Amino acid sequence: MVSSVKKSVGDAVDSKKVYSAFAKINGDHPFKTQVSEGRVEYRARTKKGGRVVFFHFDLAKEMGLLPKDHPNTLNPELEAQILETFSIQIINEWDIENNIKFPENEIRPNTYMATRYLQLQHPDKSGRTSGDGRTVWNGTIRNQGVTWDLSSCGTGGTKLSPAVNIQKKYFQSGDPSVSYGCGCSETGEGLETLFFSEVFDKNRIKTERLLMTIEYDKGLAINVRAYPNLMRPSHFFGHLKQGNYKTLRHVADYHIERQALNGAWLDVRNKGPSEKYQYMLSQVARTFAETAARLEDEYIFCWLDWDGDNILMDGGIIDYGSIRQFGLFHSEYRYDDVQRFSTTILEQKQKAKYIVQCFAQITDFLIKKKKRPLADFKNHSSLKMFEDVFEEAKYKNLLYKTGLREKFSGELLKTHLNEVRVFRRAFTWFERAKAQRGTYKVADGITRDAIFCMRDILRELPQLYLTRGELLKPDEFIEIIRSSYAKKPDLRLTAMMLKQIQRFQVSYLNLVDLAARAQKKERHQILLDITMRSSVINKYDRVTGDSITYVVQKVARCRPRLKPEELFQLMGEFAHYQTLDPDTRTQVVDEAAGVGYPARQKNILRGMAGIVRECREGL
Amino acid sequence: MKLVLYSGGDARANREIDNELFRMVGVSNPLMAYIPASSYLSEFEFQHFVDQYKRFRVKRFLHFPVDVPFDKILFKEVLKADIIHLGGGNTFHFLLWLRKTKMLEALKDYVFRGGILTGLSAGAIMMTPDISTAGMPSFDRDENHDNIKNLDAMALLEFDFFPHYRNSPRYDAEFRRFTRKTKRSLYVSPDGAGIIIDGEKRTFVGPTWLFHEGKKIAIN
Repeated sequence: MVSSVKKSVGDAVDSKKVYSAFAKINGDHPFKTQVSEGRVEYRARTKKGGRVVFFHFDLAKEMGLLPKDHPNTLNPELEAQILETFSIQIINEWDIENNIKFPENEIRPNTYMATRYLQLQHPDKSGRTSGDGRTVWNGTIRNQGVTWDLSSCGTGGTKLSPAVNIQKKYFQSGDPSVSYGCGCSETGEGLETLFFSEVFDKNRIKTERLLMTIEYDKGLAINVRAYPNLMRPSHFFGHLKQGNYKTLRHVADYHIERQALNGAWLDVRNKGPSEKYQYMLSQVARTFAETAARLEDEYIFCWLDWDGDNILMDGGIIDYGSIRQFGLFHSEYRYDDVQRFSTTILEQKQKAKYIVQCFAQITDFLIKKKKRPLADFKNHSSLKMFEDVFEEAKYKNLLYKTGLREKFSGELLKTHLNEVRVFRRAFTWFERAKAQRGTYKVADGITRDAIFCMRDILRELPQLYLTRGELLKPDEFIEIIRSSYAKKPDLRLTAMMLKQIQRFQVSYLNLVDLAARAQKKERHQILLDITMRSSVINKYDRVTGDSITYVVQKVARCRPRLKPEELFQLMGEFAHYQTLDPDTRTQVVDEAAGVGYPARQKNILRGMAGIVRECREGL
Repeated sequence: MKLVLYSGGDARANREIDNELFRMVGVSNPLMAYIPASSYLSEFEFQHFVDQYKRFRVKRFLHFPVDVPFDKILFKEVLKADIIHLGGGNTFHFLLWLRKTKMLEALKDYVFRGGILTGLSAGAIMMTPDISTAGMPSFDRDENHDNIKNLDAMALLEFDFFPHYRNSPRYDAEFRRFTRKTKRSLYVSPDGAGIIIDGEKRTFVGPTWLFHEGKKIAIN
């Protein structure tokens, strides 16, 4: 196939064959027919003047858009095919109202949908007017047993945007008098999503992915996202609020079918309707409990408000506008969204639980065809399940971060929960300790600083125990765990502090000994294993929200000189450098031997690593 | 003074040098510290390092990148190690940070106190008078991104060392020119080969050549 691509430069017949999968992306989507009240359809026209500035070759291959052996280069035929498929702008209500005429040959034969979902910033607050405000869905593509959704952000303003409903008028796409309502997206938004989501994906955090960015004049762009199922809780909540049983059922059936089709839910197709909806509820409870625990433990701030439009149904992250990852547990940070402050990272759990409660209500509604008040479900069994799964996930995440192997941590939790609990208490005490400085304003919100870096202590402690074979002195412990946010008064060795240092170390070593016993090994063997794993999991420099912002600024400055394939390579290198998975052994590269280092991006990458290091404890 | 210079290559290629190294170690249960040339993905290099030396029944290891801030607790432990290994990578970057963190002096002191210092590629070059050989040959050299002017290294040895040597006229021409200029001896070794210094004794493992004042002599 490679040879056919190479030979085909200028050969339209061959390139059509190689890129035939693109033809399937034409606006058709099963949601359109299965949930006819859940979307608004738009005609679309070719948007001219675009050029592809980023294309995710690996993702395209995974999705079956490109043949596996296609070179990771953007040849003119591929770029033309991409633009033909994705460079579109909707013909919106303003265009129609103003009787704007477009050449017939530029108008696409199929319509593209914007989906309806609940968004609380709309005056209506019930989902009648809200949904995709600047996005349309391009369609689906199926490859290797997975059906992928594709949607494009920046394809023009829809009537589901907040601006239309607040100002009660339609807007021309690109109208500079409205920001979000103008229906545009920017290259910078795409790059931010790209770098953040690729790092998360490599670290097995579910997330939307960026397939490509098409850039137009003035930095405007179409950013195309892809994911196996782009349904959000908010796709359900609007219809729930309205008591629209029929559409709610259609959404649920559609979602269940897609999950079954993708093999995500294996045993759902043979169930009767009630069982099917119950199954969906249990999946939601489990998923959101695990997700909430993971976000909390990875210090990921995701504004999980109860309208559920910042998260996907399977807990995947969508919309990186307000996503952050903190370097320390800055658990009192709140994002300032002008009209209100966001939740804190610790409040995410309650929001996730509230989403589950809404699904308990949805399930009951779907089964009994009668909507009961949400309050009736405050003691629902799914919430108990949520709590149990959340707690279990918190313990597992902690043991993983510590460096213990997953196959033993399950056993440890079953047989020695009490010992793990003692360690968790000590860990949490340090993790949540805050600076005496108190709350203060930052650029986009308010925060109160965490003062201890748990990653540092988890990385160094096993090495030091291995070397010395004894507990650290309290002042040594503090020297290692203190962050740059900690000031002298925060670090006083009070009686409580001394007690916690002792408790942390003793309970840590206790876990090591329990793991050693379970694996029939000696303490030093477990400590060595933990040392190696922890050095990867808790590596010194890990991305934060701030670092991604600066990294993207750096890339944006360099980007005019970067070809799309070079940006792709750079993104891959950066994500690889930020992969904190101890089970992924990477090839050791000796630069002097001259292997493996892409020459042109080396400098940029070094700069990016410096930024990550600089911002590693921040927001 | 106990030094081991590895040219390059993996654990299997360096088995013989490793055997020689552990003949020098006079303690049971030695502690080995690994100092990578750069922290970039060094966690994975550390895993390979541990795998390599676990076979020699080493149980205690430290991972100590110097181009990220470190605390004095770990720093002190490193200098108590029985063997300190300097990893391979960009020699200029490595030198910059060893100097910035005052590790160059600390490591020299460590060697004079009887510690065993080993180094692979860039790490081996660090023991020589300066790191000029990292800029050679012109067609395959380390890049001096950090624009370091002072190339002085630890100068524990009076000769220069070139790792990853390929026995070819292109390399040789550069080395002949280089040694005519420096008047110092230059030892060159391919991957899997190296030099062991144990006091006055100098052992060559694997094929090694000496360049001196423009002449090339096969040593081993």
